[in-house]
Amino acid sequence: MRFLLGYIGHHFLNGLHSLLIVCVLIMDTLNWLFWQPLRGRGLRWQSAVEHFVEYGFRSMPIVGLISLLVGIIMAMQSAYTLQQWGATIFIANLVGISALRELAPLMSAILITGRSGSAITAEIGTMKVSEEVDALMVMGLNPTKFLVVPKFLGMILAVPCVTVLSMAIMIAGGFVVAVGILGIDFWAYFDQTANALVAKDLYSGLIKSLFFGFTICWVGIYRGFQVEGSAESVGKMTTSSVVTSIFTIIIVDLIWTALFYFTE
Amino acid sequence: MMNNNNSEYIIEVENLVVEYGTRRVLDNISFKVKKGEIFVILGGSGCGKSTLLRTLVGLLRPSFGKIYMFGKDVTALNTQQQIELRKRIGMCFQNSALFNSMTVGENVALPLKEHTNLADSTIEIMTQIKLDLVGLGGCAHLYPSQLSGGMKKRAGIARAMALDPEIIFYDEPSSGLDPIVAAGLDQLIRKMQSTFNLTSVVVTHDLESVQIIADRVCLLHEGKIVAIGDLKEMGLHSDPYLRQFFARTPNPEENQTAPSILDTFENM
Repeated sequence: MRFLLGYIGHHFLNGLHSLLIVCVLIMDTLNWLFWQPLRGRGLRWQSAVEHFVEYGFRSMPIVGLISLLVGIIMAMQSAYTLQQWGATIFIANLVGISALRELAPLMSAILITGRSGSAITAEIGTMKVSEEVDALMVMGLNPTKFLVVPKFLGMILAVPCVTVLSMAIMIAGGFVVAVGILGIDFWAYFDQTANALVAKDLYSGLIKSLFFGFTICWVGIYRGFQVEGSAESVGKMTTSSVVTSIFTIIIVDLIWTALFYFTE
Repeated sequence: MMNNNNSEYIIEVENLVVEYGTRRVLDNISFKVKKGEIFVILGGSGCGKSTLLRTLVGLLRPSFGKIYMFGKDVTALNTQQQIELRKRIGMCFQNSALFNSMTVGENVALPLKEHTNLADSTIEIMTQIKLDLVGLGGCAHLYPSQLSGGMKKRAGIARAMALDPEIIFYDEPSSGLDPIVAAGLDQLIRKMQSTFNLTSVVVTHDLESVQIIADRVCLLHEGKIVAIGDLKEMGLHSDPYLRQFFARTPNPEENQTAPSILDTFENM
């Protein structure tokens, strides 16, 4: 019993400690993103654009393919039940709403975590192991400005953009099944989709994806700076970065979903 | 403590204590480095010499004690003052710590780009001068992964020299290099010091390079200073650890463990 309490307490305190560190990291990022550039310290735009292309543009093929498949799967799964009631036209509502509000932001975020969140951790971790972060500091250059802010900017722009693409392709996946397999009229399905969706579906999905972007980036960076000593630590932290990031994304998703649900 | 800028000492360390958690890594260290000399910090593995260097350049905060550089207490600077100080010092890391995502030329140009308002063409010329200085004139377009260990260290020195610092710190400059390349690096360190009247602080355990580069030596053991002085004084010193270190005598325990390994082979 005492052991159990000690175990829980230990992990709780550890969790609080890392939360504190992440808060400091967030403050520091915002400081170098908004306040310091106003004081003439500059922002590394070029680097931010490079990161945007890497996180956003380069992940589009894989996100697109997966979104198409998820759209097809969703349509088929819902057809299974809806056919019994002769209500297959409502596949349009189901696919459209779940894509916009939930699945497109979530799938994009999880794919970008695996693709780029891990890369952020590995990059910063390797730089820490090879003393490159120390070298930056000794040169009087701030690691937040050089490493964190460009990645952060690239990431929070990339995730919503990729999400919009994913939304569109997921709905297209539903189209393929409904029109191609179930023989629903193209325009009937189109009208049904258009009528089912409201602006709130779109922006609630986009707000979520923005916060998923924050999460992926900050978890990746936090784990990267946690790397100590060896290459083994880089591997460990990269794994941990992906797990923590996906876990946190789900929590953030839950919070926003609840918020939108109760403010309906 | 006098804070005279014209003092002959450029670095003054007083009663420095550094702790990792509860473990005391550096215990009450005091020494002074004269302007324009090469000061070597010697010591065995794990004696705290790298920690000392990291504390001097401000990567670690001391628990107690003061470090004065250019007459200012560097442990009590605000961020802006710290940046100003760091423009006046350079550091060469053990594994050179070049940015792998940039070419050698970009590595050397980075501090110039960030800390000066010079035109790009001027920066290019200055970068070339620094690279010529360390004998890497034709390597500006190469990436660090394409360089050998010795060339990386030279590139690291060029980067540390980019802003024409007054003090340069070297962390184990000859580690991992063959004797010829290491000797070349020793020569380079000497050349930097004599050409630019550069104060150099070198951390090493390489006794041969100490003979060539050191003006004064300080020997660390278990976080404490055993002796400070020039090489002659070191030769006359009677401390048993110092005599053992300079004579390269192994510890007696290690002599006893060697036959025991043989025993295990015999018993197999």
